[in-house]
Amino acid sequence: MSLHTNRRQFFFGALATTAPGWARAAGDTLRVLAWPGYADADIARTFEQRHGGKVEVTTIDTDLDLWNKISANGAHDFDVFAVNTAELQRYIHKGLVVGVATDAVPNLARQRPRFRDLRSIPGVVHDDVVYAIPYTYSEMGLIYDRRQVPAAPESIAALWDERYRGKVIAYNGGTHNFSLAAMSLGLKSPFILDKRDWPRAVDRLISLRRNASGFYTRPDESVSLFRHRRAALMFANFGQQQVQLCKAAGLDVGYALPREGALAWLDCWVITRSARNPRLATAWINYMLEREPGQVLVSRQGLSNTTSAEPDDTAKDTLRWLQPVESEERRNQLWSRIVSGDRARKVMAS
Amino acid sequence: MKLGIAAKLALLLAAVGVLASGLTGLYAYRTSRQLLVDSAQERLLTSTQVLARRITLSQQEIARNLEVLSRLPGAVAVLQRSDASQAAQLATLFQRLMSANPSYFQIRLISANEHGLERVRVDRRGDVPVEVLGDDLQEKGHYPYVAETLRLRAGQYYLSEIAVNHERGTYAGLDQPALQLATPVTDGLGNAIGVVVINVDLNGMFALLAADLPANFKLFLANDDGDILIHPDPTRTFGFDRGRRILIDEEFPLTRELVQGKREHVVFNASDRAHGLEPVVAAFIGQQVDVPSGERRLVLGLAQPLAEVIAQTDRLGVTILQIVLGLCLACVVLAAVLARAFTRPINAMSAAVQRFAGGQPSGDLPVERKDEIGALARSFQQMHLQINQNLSQLQNNQQALEHMALHDVLTGLPNRRLFVSQLEKSMIHARRYGGDISVLFIDLDDFKDINDRFGHDTGDLVLKAVAQRLLAMMREGDTVGRIGGDEFVVLLGAPTPHPQLIAVAEKMLSGIRMPIDVFGVEMTVGASIGISRYPQDGHSVSELLATADNAMYAVKADGSGGFRFASPPTV
Repeated sequence: MSLHTNRRQFFFGALATTAPGWARAAGDTLRVLAWPGYADADIARTFEQRHGGKVEVTTIDTDLDLWNKISANGAHDFDVFAVNTAELQRYIHKGLVVGVATDAVPNLARQRPRFRDLRSIPGVVHDDVVYAIPYTYSEMGLIYDRRQVPAAPESIAALWDERYRGKVIAYNGGTHNFSLAAMSLGLKSPFILDKRDWPRAVDRLISLRRNASGFYTRPDESVSLFRHRRAALMFANFGQQQVQLCKAAGLDVGYALPREGALAWLDCWVITRSARNPRLATAWINYMLEREPGQVLVSRQGLSNTTSAEPDDTAKDTLRWLQPVESEERRNQLWSRIVSGDRARKVMAS
Repeated sequence: MKLGIAAKLALLLAAVGVLASGLTGLYAYRTSRQLLVDSAQERLLTSTQVLARRITLSQQEIARNLEVLSRLPGAVAVLQRSDASQAAQLATLFQRLMSANPSYFQIRLISANEHGLERVRVDRRGDVPVEVLGDDLQEKGHYPYVAETLRLRAGQYYLSEIAVNHERGTYAGLDQPALQLATPVTDGLGNAIGVVVINVDLNGMFALLAADLPANFKLFLANDDGDILIHPDPTRTFGFDRGRRILIDEEFPLTRELVQGKREHVVFNASDRAHGLEPVVAAFIGQQVDVPSGERRLVLGLAQPLAEVIAQTDRLGVTILQIVLGLCLACVVLAAVLARAFTRPINAMSAAVQRFAGGQPSGDLPVERKDEIGALARSFQQMHLQINQNLSQLQNNQQALEHMALHDVLTGLPNRRLFVSQLEKSMIHARRYGGDISVLFIDLDDFKDINDRFGHDTGDLVLKAVAQRLLAMMREGDTVGRIGGDEFVVLLGAPTPHPQLIAVAEKMLSGIRMPIDVFGVEMTVGASIGISRYPQDGHSVSELLATADNAMYAVKADGSGGFRFASPPTV
């Protein structure tokens, strides 16, 4: 959750789009709940013109905000909303969302192959019911200083590389860091650690701490740390956004996705169980996969869409779509010990 | 309602006075209110600057403590040789220092080796400084206060970002706003082998620094990005720590230039109720952080509720209002007095003119005044005198004319008209109250000869002499008149018995006959008298005169002289 909170917060400074409020809509009004920039006024207007209805967009800025707005009234206040695949699970679990009739979404064909195969994306299909249509994503790769790191790092292990000791910048967050440690250890799932995995993961993260020069929580903070400490390598929790900030700050950086796979969040459109006009909601999802909304995501938000052709030769990159972890609480508690400087014995004793 | 000049003048003067004092009062109120607000802003700015100075001093004091600690031989011994007894001594020293400085959360000696392992560490637990040992010591190499400080030279110190401290194990300081000050410990070669770090309780430090500020002053602190660090409402601080930034320039837009470093200070009134803050007068200053630090700049501000500043104005307002009301009252009284003073002489003049018109004495006029009213009074008085003179002359002339109309010019005796009038009155009286009247018609004998022989002047003198003698013989109530050239008539108003009437006639005859001296020549003149009586000889004036005339002519015809009654005596 903290991931989303931060991610949205700092996108290119202010992205506040006006939310037209909560007013109850008429029959052919589509009530959309989305992150800022997902349904800008001009995009919504095009849809209105084409389908004759009215689109009411409400924006949220944290995962918690989203959960509160949807669950508050049994999802009665909205027809369609955008949520990431990890968060999606609890909405499905609570029965707040319904399946999407994929036949009515011909634009699915426009999506890149990795998004077209919905079954390959964890958490999107349950019992043959498709609950979510991928819309936008961001992966967490490695940013490196081209002068200090001549060749793009191929593995996550670069973060632990002794050569970069005191020159690594990492993210200050338990959930993702344990996933990162798990991937670097080659564990089966980065999201579900079993009992035997914990001590190894903790050791791995203590090593990361010892190799690191500092930890950040905000994108802007990460860039100033990277520059100030003359770091060589940085785990980019905010993905491309950080790359752009680094470049804007005049840093000569590269961006690489490691072969173990990159953690990535994937936001999808879903339809609430209370949608008044599911046909219109489905039409909205189909429209979102058209060229124009996809372009807007890239140009205005610096996010990746799911329909444009793959940039460069990245189709083979493994993206590890975020999934609910076994225990966010445990991960964060252990991480707070680790980042405070405790040694393994003390961390595991807590 | 009709208003007199006095009322109009009084109203006008009072209105002008009230308006003038009211406007003056209003202006005075507004000006002093602005002055109060200005001075409150000035005072706040000064207080803020004083506070900033105190922060610097307090920071320098911490830096001095750090320097003393970093130069202790024991510190080097602990870092280089892990000297346990020295470590214990240092811990004791740290504990004493923390007891003396309640705003210190923690003091540590941290090694540059072993990933920044803490070597000596004293935490505050509640109020007690406690040494932390063994596994509880942590590796801090990745924290800026270690990484950045190790890059400094001896004597320099590092000031961390002000943030909420989430480092597990800092007991009293856990999850509290804090800042770290650190200085390197160097070996003989000048290499940094460790750092001494003092962790300061932000709120505790500011509570001490701001302890003597008035209770209603509100303290604000923000970092160089504008994130609020200290705010009267604690929920508005360290928003970035909860994933949602709360910026000082969103709350007070005028501080934006301060945050951006474009200005050194701002003072303003803020009344943005959107943040639930009552209207305030505020002063903010930007404080450059001159040491190596996670913060480049701090924004410090003090605010005072506007209502309190204005409260002083309210007291002033009441005073001004009292003065204004007093002035208004004075104006009204003065206006009334002035109006009265101005119109009283006019009223006096007006009354004088009215009295004059009514024929009465005009009374006192304000002639002694030196002003226009005095001049008017004098002119009026002069006119008054002039008119009076003319009138009295006119009356004199009229009296003379009346006299001439009723009297004989030569002898001054009543002429025929006046005599007839007198006779009528006497007859009316006699008719009403009884009694009788006698008329004696006297004609001089041979008077024509005198005129012819001696001239008219002599004749006139004779006539005058006769008239004088007749007058001398009259009783009160009798009238003698001249009704022709040598004809005289005598009216005896009181009842006169017959014998007495005879005596009167004889006396007259003898009186007339006495010689008259005219320019040394003695003249004698005789007279004939006809006597008629009322009521027996006539009931009207003309009848009485006619019967007396006839009786007189009978005497003349007789040629004997003397007198004759128109009718024989009854008694």
